[in-house]
Amino acid sequence: MSDSTLLSTLLLSPLISAALIFFINMLFLNPRQSLFTFLALTGSGVSAVLALIVSYQSYFHAQVFTSHLFTWLSIGEFTIELALKADALGSFMLLFVAPVSFLIHLYASGYMDKDKSYGRFFTYFNLFIFFMFLLVLADNPIIMFIGWEGVGLVSYALIGFYFEDIQNTYAGNKAFIVNRVGDFGFLSALMLLFIEAGSAGFSFDSIFLSLAQIDPSMLSLIAFLLFVGAMGKSAQIPLFVWLPDAMAGPTPVSALIHAATMVTAGVYMVARFAPLYTMTPDISLFIAYVGAFSALFAAIVATRQYDIKKILAYSTMSQLGFMFMALGVGAYSTALFHMFTHAFFKGLLFMAAGYIIVAFHHKQDIRELQGIRKSLPLLFVMMFTASLSISAIPPLSAFFSKDAIMGALYASGHVELFLMALVASLLTAYYMFRMVFVLFYSQKTQSTKKSSKSMLYPMVVLTVLSVFAGLLNLPELFGGNLNISNWLNLLDKELLLPHAKELLLISVNTLLILGVILYTYKRYAYTQAIHKESQENLVAKKFYVDEIYTLLITQPLHYLSIFFEQKISHGIIDRLINLSALYYARAGILFSYLENGNVRFYALYMLIGVVSGFVYLYWALRGVL
Amino acid sequence: MQSDSIFFLLALITIVSSIVMISAHRPIDSALSFIVTLVSIAALFALVNATFLFVVQIIIYAGAILSLILFIIMFLNIKDENLPDERYKNYWLLGTSLIVAPFSFILIDLILRSNIALKAQISEEFGTIKDVGLTLFDKWILPFELVSILLLVALIGAVILSKKEA
Amino acid sequence: MLEKYMILSIILFSIGIVGLISRRNIIVIYMSIELLLNAVNLSLIAISADTADASAQVVSMLIIAITASEAALFMALFVVLFRNKASLDVNLFDILGNKR
Repeated sequence: MSDSTLLSTLLLSPLISAALIFFINMLFLNPRQSLFTFLALTGSGVSAVLALIVSYQSYFHAQVFTSHLFTWLSIGEFTIELALKADALGSFMLLFVAPVSFLIHLYASGYMDKDKSYGRFFTYFNLFIFFMFLLVLADNPIIMFIGWEGVGLVSYALIGFYFEDIQNTYAGNKAFIVNRVGDFGFLSALMLLFIEAGSAGFSFDSIFLSLAQIDPSMLSLIAFLLFVGAMGKSAQIPLFVWLPDAMAGPTPVSALIHAATMVTAGVYMVARFAPLYTMTPDISLFIAYVGAFSALFAAIVATRQYDIKKILAYSTMSQLGFMFMALGVGAYSTALFHMFTHAFFKGLLFMAAGYIIVAFHHKQDIRELQGIRKSLPLLFVMMFTASLSISAIPPLSAFFSKDAIMGALYASGHVELFLMALVASLLTAYYMFRMVFVLFYSQKTQSTKKSSKSMLYPMVVLTVLSVFAGLLNLPELFGGNLNISNWLNLLDKELLLPHAKELLLISVNTLLILGVILYTYKRYAYTQAIHKESQENLVAKKFYVDEIYTLLITQPLHYLSIFFEQKISHGIIDRLINLSALYYARAGILFSYLENGNVRFYALYMLIGVVSGFVYLYWALRGVL
Repeated sequence: MQSDSIFFLLALITIVSSIVMISAHRPIDSALSFIVTLVSIAALFALVNATFLFVVQIIIYAGAILSLILFIIMFLNIKDENLPDERYKNYWLLGTSLIVAPFSFILIDLILRSNIALKAQISEEFGTIKDVGLTLFDKWILPFELVSILLLVALIGAVILSKKEA
Repeated sequence: MLEKYMILSIILFSIGIVGLISRRNIIVIYMSIELLLNAVNLSLIAISADTADASAQVVSMLIIAITASEAALFMALFVVLFRNKASLDVNLFDILGNKR
């Protein structure tokens, strides 16, 4: 198989399986569920295997895969090619996106078992992977934008998947509209880029080559607008409000789209435009601050959430904040590496949450789910491991990635960022173990008999990955050589600490986290503390962000549209139209005197016409006759 | 010269009687003056040697159609109150004449300007039954047959229209 | 000779149109239509005489035949109109227009 066919197959196999599932679902009344499962798993499985091949070749032989599908637009000199390119960054994205997608497909086949919209679900799901691959593999920003919009669209469809409940549809709308704001930024940035740098071709490489000619302030504007897009997609302040509501979708959706892959698209995009961001340090710093505030904010809010999926949603937002912090200080590969490990442990956490939800009759409140360790021992082990990992306990995967971020922050000299990250990191341990201890350490016991093998296997795989994935990017301190960072070869800033300092940082950090876990254990394990928490304070109300947005944006828009509807539309435009309609009626009455049904009047009109024609012709031809 | 003065006389009679025809209040007056018009038109036919058409005009128009009209008028027993109320008849006639005047004027002007007359030599046979009949059954046989169908259709149509209950 | 006949024909035709449009009495309207046809016949005969060709006379004869069939239909119309409306007013024939 040639390189380009391989890449095209990788991209198209989920699309084909999505189309097949769609048509089977449409055409047949009672298709077999196993057929859908087979198609969906084949579609995602093929691309997962191919993705592993691509990233293997890229890692060991530094091979760049390209594939040119067709020319999409050709206007004079300017062409937009539908071309795919898997360079190191793209291959790295494939390395975790495709296998995690496959695992979550496997999981979803258990989770969605006997759902009446099974076929619809997997159509969306496979379509999602297609768009995600398009986003990752795009060779120019336009194609990337198509993938970007595509994942947004599928995300919308999947959040409102259970559309019988209107609340879910509202959640989907909210996600879509908030993302629109971000997409506006992205699109504006693309247009500006096109004006400034589009003359020499619009692929990433040619854009980066002509970056130097762009005016610095314009460059900052472009960088900022691009980041607005990333804000929307990756749920950063202030465009994060959709993510917690997006948990209305089925849990595999939350695991795949709103934890492991789609929300990381913003991080990927910023990393893809790394040459642009290295030239705009101000915007980079802004990104870092937005990331820091998002991380801290989400971590604080998560400490007072009770819905198991919302806790994880805020946790996702917080981790994305960490990634943006790293991007902001120029540690691109570190951010990507955290994204890599995050995909595994967050996917695992969501899957575990989904497993619990299915096992206990769709209860999501951790207060009602107390004491489930006896009935789900394996799940307890996996969730505990994932929580340890997200809290950055050595030697689990997130320890390496998060500690690299902390190190980079410290080395960059922005101490305030480092402190915020540290607090957020401690709070992460706090809210994760609050959840774990409330769920599993309780006098109460609840039992369930439900279990599904197809849900459990992918979780086991992800557990293993979230334990060991960190070893791939082992820092020098532990005898590694930063394999992934070297592979990615992005424009990382040199942010190295002396080993002693780094060791000190890690130890202090780890000790603090262990202390927090201990405190959490004291507070929540085998106690009723969770029931005594106040529901009224600022944190429990999520800092009233939703309410503020409603007050500042939604309400004025609402009143404005009411004003336009009643005053302008009804009062002025409708009245004008009615007025003219009235005069049409009057004019109609006038003309109906002429059209009176009396044939000799018609003969008269005809005569007038003929005579006028005669007179005109006689006058016009007076010279000739 | 003689034929010219005859033509002018006949033309005068035709025009005057047709004006009387369109302006008379009672239909019976119209019909009677229309007979005058038709007969003088027939005479005009004869003036150009169309003897067969002269006969046809007299027999069919003045003989058949006009007597049919007279018969209908009398058969219906039309009284004055059955006539339409034509209070503004004269204004209508005047107005319409004003509209038509330019039309007539232009046509007459065009006729006078153009030189359309061929003035072909008329043979002895022209206008006789033989001449017309030969042309009719030689060149115009299809229209002739079609007209016969049309007459049949009109006959049936007239019967159906005037049936008592529709 | 042809021009005189044509001019007479035009004058008769115009008088016919005036009668057709101005009058409300259906019998006069019918006779106006006959006058129009006669005006045409007159010009046809004149052309026939001028070109020494009998074809125009044949056409004229066909027109007379059509006139005859028209006459039959008009007579039926008079009878129907008079029977239904007890009047000869064509303004009563206006169901084509809007009824007010």
